[in-house]
Amino acid sequence: MSQETNTPDFVGQSGIRSAREQSIKWLLFGCAALSVAVTAAIVATLLFDAIDFFLEVSPVGFFLGTEWSPTIKEEFGVLPLVAGTLFVTALSALIAIPVGVASATYLSEYASPQTRSIIKPALEILAGIPTVVYGYFALVYLTPALEWLGLPLSTFNALSASIMIGIMIIPMVSSLSEDAMSAVPDSLRQAGYGIGATKLEVSTGIVIPAAASGIFSSFILALSRAIGETMIVVVAAGMRPRLVPSPFESLEVMTAAMVQLVTTDIAGGSTAYRAMFAIGITLFTITFAMNLASSFVASRYREEYQ
Amino acid sequence: MATEQEGATGGWFGETGQISRLPGKAFAAVCLSATLFGIVMVAGLLVYVTKDAIRPLTANPGWFLVFFLTLVAPSVAALGYYRRRGDGEATVALTALGIPFFGLLLGSGVLLLFIDVLSVVEWFAFVVAAVVAGGVIAGHRRLRAGASFAEEFVVAAASLVALAPLTFEFVSTFPTIPEAWLIYLFTFGLGGAVVGGLVVARRRNDRRTGAITAGALFAVATAGVFIDPSTGITPQIWVILFTFAGMPTVLYVESVVRSRQRRPLGLLFPFIVVAGMLLGAALVDLLGFAGPEAWLDFQFLTSANSRFPEEAGIYPALIGSVMMMVVVAVSSFPIGVGAALYLEEYAPNDGPLGVLVRFIEINISNLAGVPSVVYGLLGLALFVNWLNFGSGIVVVGGMTIGLLILPIIIISAQEAIRAVPSSLRQASYGMGATRWQTIRRVVLPEALPGILTGSILAFGRAIGETAPLLMIGAAASVFQPPDGFFDIFSAMPRQIYAWVGQPAYEFQYGVMAAGVVTLITVMISMNAAAILIRNKYQRRS
Repeated sequence: MSQETNTPDFVGQSGIRSAREQSIKWLLFGCAALSVAVTAAIVATLLFDAIDFFLEVSPVGFFLGTEWSPTIKEEFGVLPLVAGTLFVTALSALIAIPVGVASATYLSEYASPQTRSIIKPALEILAGIPTVVYGYFALVYLTPALEWLGLPLSTFNALSASIMIGIMIIPMVSSLSEDAMSAVPDSLRQAGYGIGATKLEVSTGIVIPAAASGIFSSFILALSRAIGETMIVVVAAGMRPRLVPSPFESLEVMTAAMVQLVTTDIAGGSTAYRAMFAIGITLFTITFAMNLASSFVASRYREEYQ
Repeated sequence: MATEQEGATGGWFGETGQISRLPGKAFAAVCLSATLFGIVMVAGLLVYVTKDAIRPLTANPGWFLVFFLTLVAPSVAALGYYRRRGDGEATVALTALGIPFFGLLLGSGVLLLFIDVLSVVEWFAFVVAAVVAGGVIAGHRRLRAGASFAEEFVVAAASLVALAPLTFEFVSTFPTIPEAWLIYLFTFGLGGAVVGGLVVARRRNDRRTGAITAGALFAVATAGVFIDPSTGITPQIWVILFTFAGMPTVLYVESVVRSRQRRPLGLLFPFIVVAGMLLGAALVDLLGFAGPEAWLDFQFLTSANSRFPEEAGIYPALIGSVMMMVVVAVSSFPIGVGAALYLEEYAPNDGPLGVLVRFIEINISNLAGVPSVVYGLLGLALFVNWLNFGSGIVVVGGMTIGLLILPIIIISAQEAIRAVPSSLRQASYGMGATRWQTIRRVVLPEALPGILTGSILAFGRAIGETAPLLMIGAAASVFQPPDGFFDIFSAMPRQIYAWVGQPAYEFQYGVMAAGVVTLITVMISMNAAAILIRNKYQRRS
C-alpha cells in the first residue's frame, strides 16, 4: 500500500490499515461463502418447481410409477429412468473399476517416476475430453465396431455409451486410488518383504487392503460422476425409457430425460416442465449423498495412518 | 513413494526389474496394459476422427513426401539433436515454438472479438472511462495521503460507479474519434510494452533497463504500423498481434540469451519449423501436388452452419465459445481465487466461524461433484426465470458455466496457495507488513503460476461443457456470431450436438469430425499451455 507512515507500526494495527484489512478479509470471506449461496440456490430453485410438481403429481406416482411419458400420456413414473441410470452406471463401473485399480497399482507400485510423469498427464487427458465428443465416438465409431464384432446392437444402445463413460471415469478411479496407495507407509511394504513376500503379494496382500477405504471412496466418487454424466448418454444411448434395460437396446437415463424435456417444445409452466426439476432434485440428492459418503470414507482412512 | 527408493538405489530386496516369479510378471503386465487401455483406445479414436476430418488419403502422395522432407524430418532431427545435447535445450526449443503460437491464438481471439463484438468506439469509450476513474482514484491518493479508509472507499466507488459510466456515455457521443489503430496502439501496444518493461525490471532488478525495454517495445509497435497494408497486415492487426505474440516472444528470447546456461541454440527451432512449412508450401505449389480435401479447412473455420455439408462451418459457434469464455473467466476467476485466499490465509480453525469454514470446505468439494446438468437447471431457474435474462444469451451461458467451474478453481488455487512456504509469510510479517500486504506482495506472486495452471485446466473443461448449454437454451446453430454479451449464441460443443441430429453420412463422418477436431485442438492446446506454465515454474521451487 502507498501510505507507509514514518513512525514504525509493529503490529500493523493503525486505524486505516485495520479497516482496510478487515474489509478485505470480509470481502474474501464473501467469495468463500458464495459457494454456500450456490448450493442454497441449487436446492431452492430445484425445490420450488419440484414442490409445484409434487402438488400436481403424487410423489408415490413419481417414485414408484413404472411408465415415463411426460409429453404424450402425462405419465410421470421415474422408475424406468432410475433403472436405466443404474444399468448404465453398473456397466461403466464394470470397466472403470478393474481398469482403474489395476492402473493405480501399476502407477503406485511398479512404474518408475519417469513413466509416471508421462502416463499421468495422458490419463488426465481422458478426463478432459468433452463428453459430447465421447458421445460422438460411441455413436459413430464404437457402435459400428461392436456391430462388426457380431453384437446385435441397435443404433442407439446402452453398451457403447457405458463403455465410453467407463473410459471417461478411469482417470478418476486411478488417480484417487493411486493417491491412497502412495499414502500407505513404506514400513508396511518393508514388513511384507521382510517376511519373504514377493512384490505381487505385497501389492495385492498389503498395499491394496491397506488403501482399501481410499480406493473405495474413489469408486463412490466415480460412480457418482457416471450417474450425473449427460452428453454421452444423450448422444449415444437414445431416449427410450425401459423398466428392464438391455445392453443392446436404447434406453433413457435421468439426465437424458432432463435434456429431452428442455429441448422439446413444452410450455414454461406445464407439469412436464416441472418434472424436469423433480428429476433434477432426485439426481442432485443422489450424487450429493454419494459425494458426502465418499469424503466420509476417505477421511476415516486418513485417521488410520497419521 | 515406494518405487522411488527402490528405483534409485536398486532396492534392498533385489533389483526392481527382477520380478522373480511368473505370476508376478503376469500381474505387472496386466496392470500395465490396464493403464494403457483407456489411453490407447482414446488415442485410436482420436486418430480415426482426425483421419475423417482431414481425409489424408485424398492427397497426392507427393504432397506428403514434400512436407515430410521439408517439415517433419528436419524438425524431428533438430529435436533429437537438442535432446542429445541435453541441458534443457529441447524445452527451450518447444517453448520458443509454443509462445508465439499461443500468442498468435490469443491475439487472433482478441482480434475476432473486436471484429465481431466490440466496436472500436465502445472500446475507446471504455478505455477513456477506465482512465478517468483510475486517474481520479490515483489523484485523490496523492493529494490526501492520510485519507481514512472510508473516504478512499467513497471516492473509489463514486468514480467507478458514477463517473465511469458518465464518461462512457459522453465519449460515445463524440462525432469523430481517433483512428482505430491509434486507439489499439495506445491501449494494447502501450499496455503490453509497460507490462514487458515491468517484467524485465523485476527480472533484472533494474528500473532503467525496464524503462528502456518498454520504450523499445513501444517503438517497435509504433514502427510496425507503417508496414504496407497491401501485405494484409493492417495497422490494427499488427498492433494486436505484436502485443500478444511478438512481445512475449521477444521477452522470452531475451531471457534465454541472457541466462547463464546459454542455450540459445534451441531458439532456432521455430525458424526450422516455419521455413519447412513455407518451403513445403512453395514446392507443393510448384510441383502441382494436391493436398487432402479436408473437411477441416479454412472454409469450415470461417463460415456459418449450413444444410449442405460442404458449406457448413463453425465460425459463429467459435466466436460464441470465445465470448462465453470471457464471461466464464471474469465471473469465476476472481471469486475463486478470493475464496481460496480466504480459506487458506484467513480462515480460523476453531470457534463458531471455524465450524462455518469447515462446512464451506466440505460444501466446495461436494459442489465439484454436482452433475453439470444440474448446474444447467440452476442457470435456467436463476438467471432465466428469476432474474429474467434472455434464454440462451452469452452472459447466462458464461455465468452458468462459471458457477460450474468455480469449485474446481477454488480447490486448485487452494493447493497452489498452500504450497507457498510459510517461511516467506513469516519473513514478510517480520518486516512489519500486514496480512493483506503479505498476501498481495508475497503469497500471490509466488502462487500465481499454480493458480493459473489449475484455472486454465478448469477453463479447458468449461469450453467443452454441453449439458448446461442445452439446459439454458443455447441456440442449436446461429448463423451470425453474437453481437454483444446479451445476444443469443451457440458454442462449439452445442454446435457439434446439433450436428449429431443430422443423419447424412457427410455430416456424421465429415462435418462433425471436423468440429470435434477443432474442439479437441482448442482443449488440448489449453492443457498444453497449463503444462508449459507448470513446467516453467516447477524448476524454481
